[in-house]
Amino acid sequence: MPRKLVHVVMLLALVLSIVPVAVVSAQGDVSSVCLVTDVGRVNDGTFNQFAFDGMTRAVEDFNLDSTFIETQAPTDYESNIATCINEGFDIIVTVGFTLADATRAAAEANPDRWFIVVDTDFAEPLPNLVGLQFRDDQAGFMAGVLAALMSESGTVAGIYGIAIPPVVRFRHGYEQGVAYANATFGTDVEVLGVYIDDFQAPDRGASAAEQFIGEGADVIFGAGGPTGSGGILRASQEGIKVIGVDQDEYFTTFGGGETPGAENLISSAIKRVDIGVYDMIAAVVNGEGFPENSVHIVEAANQGIDIAPPHDADVPQEVLDILQMIKAQLESGELETGVDPNTAEIVAPPGPPAAVPEATEEVSG
Amino acid sequence: MVSATTTARADAPIIETKTWRDSITRPRIFSVFFILIGLWMVLSVTSNYGADADLSGLDVNEAGRVITTLTFNATQSLTIDTVTYATVVGIVFYILGGVVGLLPRPAGELGQRLDRVTKYWLFVNGILFIPTIMIIAAAGNSTNFTVLLQTSMRLATPIVIGALSGIWAERSGVVNIAIEGMMLTGAGVGFVVFTLVAGTVPTSTGLWLGVLAAVLSGGFMAALHAWLSITFRTDQIVSGTVINIMALGLTSFLRRQVLLSSEAGRETLQQIRIPVLADIPILGEIFFNGKPIFYAMFILLIATHIILFYTRWGLRTRAVGENPHAADTLGINVLRNRWINVLISGLIAGLGGAWFSLETNGSFEDGMTSGRGFIGLAAMIFGKWMPFGAFGGGVLFGFSDALGLRFQILNVNIPEQFLQMTPFVVTMVVLAGLVGKATPPKADGIPYEKE
Repeated sequence: MPRKLVHVVMLLALVLSIVPVAVVSAQGDVSSVCLVTDVGRVNDGTFNQFAFDGMTRAVEDFNLDSTFIETQAPTDYESNIATCINEGFDIIVTVGFTLADATRAAAEANPDRWFIVVDTDFAEPLPNLVGLQFRDDQAGFMAGVLAALMSESGTVAGIYGIAIPPVVRFRHGYEQGVAYANATFGTDVEVLGVYIDDFQAPDRGASAAEQFIGEGADVIFGAGGPTGSGGILRASQEGIKVIGVDQDEYFTTFGGGETPGAENLISSAIKRVDIGVYDMIAAVVNGEGFPENSVHIVEAANQGIDIAPPHDADVPQEVLDILQMIKAQLESGELETGVDPNTAEIVAPPGPPAAVPEATEEVSG
Repeated sequence: MVSATTTARADAPIIETKTWRDSITRPRIFSVFFILIGLWMVLSVTSNYGADADLSGLDVNEAGRVITTLTFNATQSLTIDTVTYATVVGIVFYILGGVVGLLPRPAGELGQRLDRVTKYWLFVNGILFIPTIMIIAAAGNSTNFTVLLQTSMRLATPIVIGALSGIWAERSGVVNIAIEGMMLTGAGVGFVVFTLVAGTVPTSTGLWLGVLAAVLSGGFMAALHAWLSITFRTDQIVSGTVINIMALGLTSFLRRQVLLSSEAGRETLQQIRIPVLADIPILGEIFFNGKPIFYAMFILLIATHIILFYTRWGLRTRAVGENPHAADTLGINVLRNRWINVLISGLIAGLGGAWFSLETNGSFEDGMTSGRGFIGLAAMIFGKWMPFGAFGGGVLFGFSDALGLRFQILNVNIPEQFLQMTPFVVTMVVLAGLVGKATPPKADGIPYEKE
């Protein structure tokens, strides 16, 4: 009996010792950030790494404490987030659509902490929760314009992964980009595409690439994780021009020029996860808080969408100039892709925003 | 247990009772299928591409009729009047063939002859289905037929190798559902070894060392399977499942430890163009212009067939798989035979794994075999545990996978989710409709215990 009492007292002491920490951090300024990866590591060349880079930069700029947890299995999401909370971190960054539910639950239970989720959006907003949503369509759009301008055969193609919203946005942006080039720069290019129901099947991506080449495609865009990379790798080795996705694939898939075919990688459609994470940490530290609708849109206008340089590939200067112009127009809002970022569907032809309002009205209303 | 059922079957009196069910024969089911396909062909082309249809944006000939262009290579192509082709083929081959198949059979020689004609007719319909569906899907466009077959063969490679691996194990009486895991191990370990030796040896040597490591690691997993299921007589399904799960964890661990930090380029095995033979039109491109493991598939196929059916080892293996007690009585060491066959099965599966990482992609991703080992098992059953049958099964699955992609490329007006189902629908239809009863080796799956 006394022993049990000791246990209870100890436990109480333990609980009490934690509570003050939490209270203090809630009252004090924001001073620490904790990052939970999706299954993977902070140096694995995927979103995990970019989010980590963004956090690291914010930590240096704002002089914050930080740590990270590398998730080993999907079953650990909740407990990893709980660890961050229990250790008293103010801002918790979770990387990936798959952690959205667990993060939302934690945000509801901990209104005194800030939660940032990469690559998702939330239907019901919470003041302490934000999802980073990327305008993949803008990145795809630039890739589409580039593909159309570089094509000699008049056929370009895209290899996509599972048809989830980010992938669909890439595809529709790409197709709109080709349409825009046809209308504006006088190209006459047809665009083909396949969804492959698996992100981890590079061999099937490669087989899609072979078929596209057989159909006469001479520029191929791969937007589907390793499946898409497998596709552009095969195509590049067959001498076909290719465009990568998410990050500059020159440094990942093509090993910084080590991999054969690197001379055919003309660009990559980039989404800057690091900038999105940095901006949201900055918003909390500066006391602005998150956007009211719990969605932070990462787009050309806030430097979050980019198109990679050609590196070893041979792309004429006038094409690069056109790309810079398009990027500037997307940035300033003079040019719209015509893809609705929420539904990922094409709602209007690409062009100046004047043509778009009706369609956007309709969707938001 | 095994012998009891056999005697029961042999002793069963032969009773001939004809019910309505007996009139539903396999050819008749296919006849109905083919009539429906024929009707669909004729109706869809006439309504979509007939005289009244809107043909804007489609290729047409001088007479203004929709054409399909099948290209074979840069210079050879074939132009077909889509509507005429589909109507003629639909009526003459499919509808007429189906009707003949459904006709009641007169007794005697005429009936038998009619049966034989129907069988060949339906067989031709089956073969003809491939080009026909392409011609209709690509109406008003051109599409490359050679590449479709080429990429089918490519996608079939791991499936066929998986099926051959299964045949070695199961013919000796050990169920091997761990092929998937063995392949994944091969893919992972092979690529890790290639990465580790990169820089110290020339790239091509490194790749071949990787392939060797892949084969050996497949063999290692097989040794585990053999040890558990033959030596310790664990349930073979349990042991196989354990290996599948273990392979997932092991390779994903290796990838994180070694591959993430490595800077090696993503090289793959060299394409080998066999001189003279590769210049044969169409077939040359499909069969004689490939990478090493692709060729190895054919060598393994022929070797498996010869060893199983024309050598003493093959005869003993089959005996052990059918009736280990009898084989034991005749002085065959059953356990040793099974051990060796399971090891060979693993070595072959490891080679199949190398196809993924070292021949096709030049990288390793978690779970990159994505079920191809299991489809290989299905191909093995499809082929009734015969090497060439399994090859046919593998090619069929590879083809339907490629076809699903091609339909999407051609913008066939079906949601892509359904097109992605193509391989699985084909699997079901073929397994249920075409293969019929597949009889495994009698002692398959039963651990051997000396009496």
